[in-house]
This record gives sequence, structure tokens and C-alpha cells, in this order.
Amino acid sequence: MAYEFPEGWRFRMTGWRKFFILVFLVAVGVMIYRLVYGLGAATHLNDQWPWGWWIAVDVLIGVALAGGGYSTAFLVHILHRKQFAPVARAALLTSMLGYILVLIGLFMDIGRWYNFWRPFLVYPGSWHSVLFEVFWCISLYTMVQVLEFGSIVFERVKSDWLKRVFDAMLPPLFILGVVLPTLHQSSLGSLYVVTVDRLDPLWWSIALPIFFLLSSFFVGPAMVTLEGSLAAKAYGRQMEIPVLSRLVKVGAWVMFIYLVLKLIDLGYRNQFGHLFDGSLESNLFLLEIVGGVIVPMIMFAIPSVRNSAGGLITASVLTVGGVILNRMNVVFTGMAAAMGGHYFPKWTEFMVTAGLIALAVLAYCFLVENFAILPAEEHVPAGKPSEAHTSYTVVG
Amino acid sequence: MEVEKLLEEALKQKEVTRRTFLKMMAGLGLAGLAGSVGGCLRQHEVAAGGEGWLPYQYDVAGTWPAHVRGRVPIDPSNPSIMRDDRKCILCGQCLEICHRVQSVYGYYELPIRDDIVCINCGQCSLACPTGAIQERDDTEKVLKALKDPNKFVVVQTAPSIRVALGEEFGMPPGTWVTGKMVAALRRLGFHAVLDTNFAADLTIMEEATELIKRIKGELPGRPLPQFTSCSPGWVKFCEYFYPDLLPHVSSCKSPQQMFGATVKTYYAEKRGIDPRKIVSVSIMPCTAKKFEAQRPEMISARKYWEKKKGPDFAKDVTRDVDIVLTTRELAKLIKQAKIDFPRLPDEDFDPLMGKCTGGAIIFGASGGVMEAAIRTAYFFITGKEPPPQLLDLKPIRGLASVKEAAVDIPGAGTIRVAVCQGMAASRQVLDIVRAGKAPWHFVEFMACPGGCESGGGQPRSSVPQANEVRAKRTASLYAADARWVWRESHENPDILKVYQDFYGHPMSELAEELLHTHYTSRADKLKAIQPSEKEKPWEQYYPARLTPEI
Amino acid sequence: MKGVLVDITRCVGCGSCVVACKLYNNLPWSNAPHLGKDAVLTADNWTVVKEFDVSKGKESVWRFVKEQCFHCLEPACASACFAAAFRKTPEGPVIYNERVCVGCRYCMIACPFSIPKYEWQARFPRVQKCQMCFYRVKDGEMPACVSVCPAGALKFGDRDALLKEAKERIAQNPGRYVNHVYGEKEYGGTCWLYLSDVPFEQLGFRTHVSTESIPHVSERVTKWTLPVAGGWAAVLTALYLATKGSGGAEKSH
Repeated sequence: MAYEFPEGWRFRMTGWRKFFILVFLVAVGVMIYRLVYGLGAATHLNDQWPWGWWIAVDVLIGVALAGGGYSTAFLVHILHRKQFAPVARAALLTSMLGYILVLIGLFMDIGRWYNFWRPFLVYPGSWHSVLFEVFWCISLYTMVQVLEFGSIVFERVKSDWLKRVFDAMLPPLFILGVVLPTLHQSSLGSLYVVTVDRLDPLWWSIALPIFFLLSSFFVGPAMVTLEGSLAAKAYGRQMEIPVLSRLVKVGAWVMFIYLVLKLIDLGYRNQFGHLFDGSLESNLFLLEIVGGVIVPMIMFAIPSVRNSAGGLITASVLTVGGVILNRMNVVFTGMAAAMGGHYFPKWTEFMVTAGLIALAVLAYCFLVENFAILPAEEHVPAGKPSEAHTSYTVVG
Repeated sequence: MEVEKLLEEALKQKEVTRRTFLKMMAGLGLAGLAGSVGGCLRQHEVAAGGEGWLPYQYDVAGTWPAHVRGRVPIDPSNPSIMRDDRKCILCGQCLEICHRVQSVYGYYELPIRDDIVCINCGQCSLACPTGAIQERDDTEKVLKALKDPNKFVVVQTAPSIRVALGEEFGMPPGTWVTGKMVAALRRLGFHAVLDTNFAADLTIMEEATELIKRIKGELPGRPLPQFTSCSPGWVKFCEYFYPDLLPHVSSCKSPQQMFGATVKTYYAEKRGIDPRKIVSVSIMPCTAKKFEAQRPEMISARKYWEKKKGPDFAKDVTRDVDIVLTTRELAKLIKQAKIDFPRLPDEDFDPLMGKCTGGAIIFGASGGVMEAAIRTAYFFITGKEPPPQLLDLKPIRGLASVKEAAVDIPGAGTIRVAVCQGMAASRQVLDIVRAGKAPWHFVEFMACPGGCESGGGQPRSSVPQANEVRAKRTASLYAADARWVWRESHENPDILKVYQDFYGHPMSELAEELLHTHYTSRADKLKAIQPSEKEKPWEQYYPARLTPEI
Repeated sequence: MKGVLVDITRCVGCGSCVVACKLYNNLPWSNAPHLGKDAVLTADNWTVVKEFDVSKGKESVWRFVKEQCFHCLEPACASACFAAAFRKTPEGPVIYNERVCVGCRYCMIACPFSIPKYEWQARFPRVQKCQMCFYRVKDGEMPACVSVCPAGALKFGDRDALLKEAKERIAQNPGRYVNHVYGEKEYGGTCWLYLSDVPFEQLGFRTHVSTESIPHVSERVTKWTLPVAGGWAAVLTALYLATKGSGGAEKSH
């Protein structure tokens, strides 16, 4: 395939982008402050709350929301469902950016950051750690995504032999690119398996890894939809509603499985009484399940809703919100009773997250404007099934 | 290597010039620096206990003492003593004192109930080599009261302060510093400087009267022997471990509390001072006095004014004794105020409650209360002055843990007395009384070995308190007694006046109200363990001297 | 395997053990209380003696609980650590190596007793907790805290023997103790064992907890990692190959 690229690198400066740059620069300052003066100075973390905002948002939620990459990759590259191909590159890009942010966020959160490489070494016994698996998988998966992205990069950079090398690597990378997220998405749930007797039984389950995996899978289509709609708005394009509609239908099925398993799990552990006891935990759990799973699932199931931009976006927002709430509940709500003490993030903690998101937006804009990420619109008229060979274009 | 070479070089030169000396010192400094740096590096390279994974922080820390034995428990809300854990080295001296000398720690069954058993004697603070255990510092309260223009701050000083306070300012133990102490208190701003010795004489008047009444059988339910009640540590000990013997304890308050009750009533009326403005401060050799002043029943003056002027007036009359300072705290105040104590002129106590007798002075030593009581009892019974040997009652003086004497008083026969110091040693006497085999009429108990002069609040001139220091302070008290104008409590003109103008006579209704008290059993706070017959751990410190008779 | 038996009925609350810990381990005195009702474990307080005013029958009594690392037989912190900074030694103590620690604090999440604490104010904070005076124990000595207990509330020895003794004490003193040795089975058992005369839940102990060790619980999940990875990779490869030709499944549609 041949693509037409404009001469030179482009980065259009707008008011919003200047704002994002400013946010990012402030965050860089905060990050330097944190690295120099330590966690006690830069966060409100304490002995009761050793994990806080960064782990919940930058890592747990970040990884979950980046799940769009692997769920799309699974459909497109493994099952060869080419009808989803138009969104595949965008999903890969946002996922890759998401993982890079997760790694930066993780780096911010570790106290002895000069030792960050230690877990790459295998010490006797260290492989028993869930975190060991998470760390390896996330690091490897980020690398896999960067390599996958290499193929796209070398279309632009015009090095045919490198492009060939990267293309040759793609099939095993695709398989790794699904195996690794499967492992670590579930392992993020396994992290909290150790909190038995402390995490509220509404969330604690030996099946936590399965729930984390499934929710990261069904949040994928919703995230791809939201990113697609944002990109469409930003670049004055049409949303790929037919593709997305089919994608969220897959998501709805996974949500259904998730819901059924959740109910079986709660029933098995006799927690239905707790479910409706009116406590803060139960209310937030119900909000998460009803508002974040049942309602969007039904919306996705109704063709007229999922084929309209409004319905699609609303249901996706609910799904994403549900997953965010779920992760927050596991880290904060469910642990509050057992941990005691008090924690509310310091402004610096929010600032770092904001800066990372700003960085991601800026990087996304730069990449879609300089590399062939988004589908070429003329080949995909709205409302018609996509071509077998999707073509991509730069936007801007 | 480098150091040796430099030294060799220096030695080779017959004459060490200024230049070579400086060169050598600089070289040594450099070598030392290199050594320290090298040492630091090496420490991190080689993990303690060997190689491999084991981390170096498991090195035995340098601050670990060679000999550690633990310490006594101290309730953080203890009114008398507190401990700075940063100074504690776990040497176990507090345990030693508390267990062996006072027989408190280890003499109750575990588990504990809702009290950390403590008789507040403060002997542990005298034994603590690092000063981790100290009295609860109340000097701030005194400074605050002195600054308050609406307060009239009176101060009383116990008999034994004047033979020990000088030690805090470099004077030898036993130096008599009454005049300087009074001068210092005036310079600190106290509005009236009065003497606990006055109240000691008052105590003797009451206690001797009570003794005679007990002997005559006029006080039903109050058996013989009568026990003294001046030492609040002893009183609390009795409440804990011998509650069944509480009826033996004299109902007389201690001099401190008699003073407090009198100063807010008699003194206030005489001087025309609003009792609600009086802040009553006492300087004591004792940490248990801080506890005693806080006992709930010690509000006799308030009750007096309640009767006289109603509850609205009385509710602002504070405790009989508001603040208790130890000798050490007084010394601290004097030093803080930058008063040059040794150069102060000698001054006299203020009138009304400032005069005393030799009998009161010797309250500060073990056996003193007994001796003073015998002098006055002799007078009360016979109406005559006691013979000279009763003014120098050697058998009950000195540092033996248990002392005995028998005194013939015409008209009353032979009065047998015993004097105990240190609670462990006192147990043998208490056990005899408990068994109903007591030959004595009157027994003096002092919680602290030596009596008040080496109480828990006295200067830490030697740690642990040496008998030599005790002996010097005691000798100073008896020397003062020997030279005093009045030797017997009933000769004190201020005492005669207070009975004439206020109390009427000893154990009058008003005296009972203000000068007498009652005791509460603390048996529910612990389950006592009886020490075995053979075990007499106190004997290695203060062998008992049981003399059959004079 | 060594252990310590804590007999809460014998503790008088003197805090000798706390001071001994500070002295032996050269720990600084911080503002966090180390004795009393508000006593709290921190990076500098490896052990504290906490006061509980409880009722025992009709009586109200004071009880003191020495808190420190329990030194689990199968420690959660060690199994949670991805840098192997925690290690269970054969002698019993669970010890920490700051040099390999990354500072992720997963140990603090994983510990069922919330024991590990963090040096929050440090630039490169260490995780801190009782090390059971490892080198003393290794040399056959008792930990510093045990060596100074004046009331005989702490006893050091082989864990098995201590457990036996604890049960004997319960049997030989009817009514003195609640019939439970805390640490015998909690989370798979711990080296530190506790005897008490008032129910443990009144003394700040986490009761009615799993008797399965935390590593064992997480093992139930992590044991699937490799099979899932291998199996899933095989399935994906098969799916990839099977659907490769049908790349235009939709095209023929």
C-alpha cells in the first residue's frame, strides 16, 4: 500500500494545545519535586493508605481503559474480523499511549525509583508475586505495542526494509499482544486477592482476576467509541458508527457474561443480603453494577440505540464510568473499613494525572496528524460495511 | 600505615618543631578522614553476619547496653512521677527499688486490674541513673499563679527541704539553709512564706491526743497500735496491701494537708484574705504529696466555707493544697529566676504559721514523728516536761529499717513503739500486727528509707541515694532540734494561738473537720501476694534493728 | 522455627520491650506514641504497647498488647514482593532487605495484619517493621524485647514448644485464659503467639480470619498463570491460523 504523506512533521498549535502543554509542564515540575523530595512531601499517602490516587487512576484505571487495544486487536488480528479494522490502529495507539502513561505513573509511585529495574531480575521467590507478573506483563506488552506501532512508523519514515522486518514480526506480536494483556488485566485483580478479610466481600472474590479481565475487555469497545467520537469531533470527521456499533455489541455480550458471573459469585458467597443493606459499600456497588453494566448493556443491545451516535456515546460513557467506579471501589471504598485512617489526594497527585493525560492528548494529536492512524474517510462511506482492506490516512 | 609513618618521622626528629607538629597533626587528620571514609564504604560493602543477600542493617546497634533488665510500669496519668522514655536505658534500678525496698512491684498478682499499682513514693526517680524518671513538673502552674494579680499565693516548706535544698547549689549535704530558702521564696514572688513545721507541731498535738485516747479506750473501733499517717506513700501502701489494718492508721491528716486546711480558713480569716484568692503551694521532699493533695477528700476548707458562706462562695475555694512542688522543682524555679542562692541573706518566715519547734524539725527524719509525739504525749499525760533522755531518743534514730523502743511514762506505764522505714521492711511489723501479736502502742511508718529527708523529691546528690547523704541530712535535723528554743510541739506559740483563737483544743469538732481524714481500701485494685517468710530482700539494704527495750 | 509467646495476662504495660527495640535497632524516637491507647506502629516504632480498657465479666480492666510483626509462617509480604526484599528465614524471623526494595508498598497492602510501615518523609523510603532481632535469633539469643521483659509476659523458644506450653497454660489454669492461642492458625500460623484472658477482638486483634495463609490464597490464582499463558497462546495461534484465510469473511458477505 502506498500512502501520501505531507512533507515534514506537522503539529498545529491551538489554544487548547497550549493549555495542555502548560498542564504538562506544571506536572513535570511536580514530578521532579516528587522524585527529589519523596512521596511524603508530594502526596497525602500514609501508613493506612499506602496506595492512593496514582495506583487507582494512573495504573488500575489506566490499564483497564487501555483495554480497547487488546480487545480490538483480538477481533481484528486474531479472529481476522476485518470489519473492525478501521478502528484498530486508533485503538492500538490509544492503548499504547495509555500503557506508557501507566509506566510513568508507576514510576512516580515507587519510593525507591532508582531500583525500578530490580523486578526485571528474577530473585528466588520473586516470581510468586502477583506484582511480578503484572510488572513483567505490562512492561512487555508496552514493548509489544511499540513494536506493533513500529510497522506504522516505518510507513512514514520510509524505510522499506525496516517496515518489512516489523511486518514480519507482527503475527507473533499479535498473539503476544493478546496473551500479555489477558494475563495482566486479570492479575491486576489478583493483586487484591491478598486482601481477603479486608476488602469488602462485595468486591473481594477469588474470581477477582476474571472480573478484572472481563471488565477490561468490555470497556474496550466503549473506550474506542469515546476516543473515536472525540477524534471525529476534533478533526471534523464522521464517527465509524457501523464499526463501533458492531464492536459494542460484542462488548454487550461480554458484559452479560460478566454480570451473570458476578451474580453467581455473590450468591456463592452469600452476599445478597449485604448487597441491599444500604451501606455506603452496597450503594456504590449497586451504582457500579446498575449504572455501569446493566444500563449500558441494555442500551448496547438495542439496535436503534447503538446505531445512533448519541446512544452509543451515552452508553459508552456509562460503561467507562462503571469500570472507573469499580476500580475506585476496590482501591478505596472496599478497603476503607479495614484500613481506617484518612486519605484524600494532594493537589500534586491530581496534577501528575492531569499532566499525563495532557501528554497523551498531545501525543495522540501529533501521531494522528503525522502517521496513518485514522481510516481514510473516502473509502468508508458512512453507513456501509467497511472494505476488506482498510486504508488509513493522516488527519489535520 | 600513613599514621605510623608520620609518627616515625616525627620521632626521628629529636626536636619537634612547631612546623613538624602542625604537619603531623594535619597528616593525622587526613589519615583519620580517609579512615572514616574508608570505614563507611567498607561498612556498606560487607554485610554484617556475612555475605550474600543478608542486609547490613542487622548490625548490632552501638547503643545496646551491656546489661538490661527492664523497668517498672508507670501510668502516664500518674500525678507524681513521669518518665522520659528517650532517656531510659532499661538498667532496672527502678525495679530494684520498687520490688526490694518498697515491695510494690512483684507483690501483686497478674493480670493487673484497672490500676498500675504505685504508691507514688518516687524512690525510683532517686534510683534512676539517667534521670528518665522525674517528678511530674508543676512549676509552670506555680509561675502562672504568681503572675495572676488576683491570686494570693502562699507557700509552705516541709521540714526536710532546709537540709537538702543547698545541695542543688553546690553546698554539702545537710547544710542548713532555712533563711536562704525563705529569702529565695520571697524573691520568687510568693505572697506569704510559711512553714509546714508549724503544721507538724499541729499534727503532733492531734496525733498525741489521739494516741492517748486510743490507749484509754476512748475511741471505739480504733485499735492499738496506732499507725502514723504523715507519709502519703505509706498510707497508699496500707490501702493497697493492708486494708484490714486501716483502722490502726491515725485519722490525722499529714502536716501538708493540715496546713492547707488551716491556711484557707484560720489564716485567711486572721489576715482578712478572700479564701477564694488563695493559691496554696507546698514545697515537699516527696512525690507522693502530689498525689495526696489530689485525693478527693482533701477539700476541707471548701466544706468549711460552704457551711459558713454557702455553696456559691465555696465553689471557688480550690483544694486545700493546690500545687505541690518537690525540692528539685523549687531548685529549678530558683535557678530559672537566676537567684544566687548561696549569697542570699537569711530571712524569717511570715507570722501566724511560721514558727516551729524541734519536734517539728525532726519530722524530716525517720523516727522523728515518733520522738516528737512521745515528748508531747509525756507532757499531756504527766503535765511535766519530759526527761532529757526522751529529748534524745537514740534507739529510734538512724537508718536501721525497723527500730523499737519502750518508754516509761508515769501514769501510763510502758509505752512500746516501733519505727519503720521502707515498705518492704515495714511488712514484718505489719504482719505481726495483722496476726494480732503486736506489743506496740504506736508505730511510725515512712515510705522512704531515711524518712522525708531522702524522699522521692529530694536532690539527687548521689544516685542511688547513699546512706552517707541520708546520715548527713538527718544529723543536721537533729542538730537543729538540739539547739532550738522550743523542743516540744506544745511549746510553739503559734500553735497555742491557733488553738486559742480557732480550733479550741485538739480533736475538737472543728479540728476533726479540718485536720482529720479517713482512708479508702484499695484492695479491689490488686490481689496481693504475700512474700515468703524466708525472703527478706530489704535486709541487704537496711538491716532491721529490733531492740527489746530501753 | 523460633517464636515468642506473649501472655497478655502477665503484661504490666511498662514498655521495656519498646525501649529495648529502640535501643537495639537504633531507631529514632518520633512523635508517634509508642505506649498507651494511641500507640501506633510506624517506620520508627517497630513495636508498641497498646492499652485497652475493657470489661472482663463485671470488672473493668486494663490490658496491654504488645504489637509488632507476627512473623507469619508463610508471610504475605514476602510472597507479595516482586523484588524479594522480604524473606522468611528458617529461624523464623521475616526480614527485609532495603537494597533491593523498589518501594511499591504492595507488602503493606498484602499484610493481613497491616504491619509494614513506610518512611514517608524520606527521599528513598524504606519499608520498616520488626525484624525479630534476626542476628540475635540466629545466634540462639532471644530478641531484644523478650530479653528485657520484667514481668515474664514474653517467652522465646521453639514455636512448637511454645504452642504446646500455651495450650498447657490454658489447660492448667481453668478460667484464666480464653481458649484460644492467637497465631496458632491465623493466616496459616505465626511465629508470635498470644494468650489472653479477654476475648481477642476486644484487644484490637483481627479475629474470625482465614486460616489459610495469604500466599496460599494468592497461589490459588497465580498457579494458573503459566497454564493460561501457554494455553491461551496456543488457542490464539490456532484461531489466528484458522481465520487467516477467511480474512474476507465479511467480504464474501
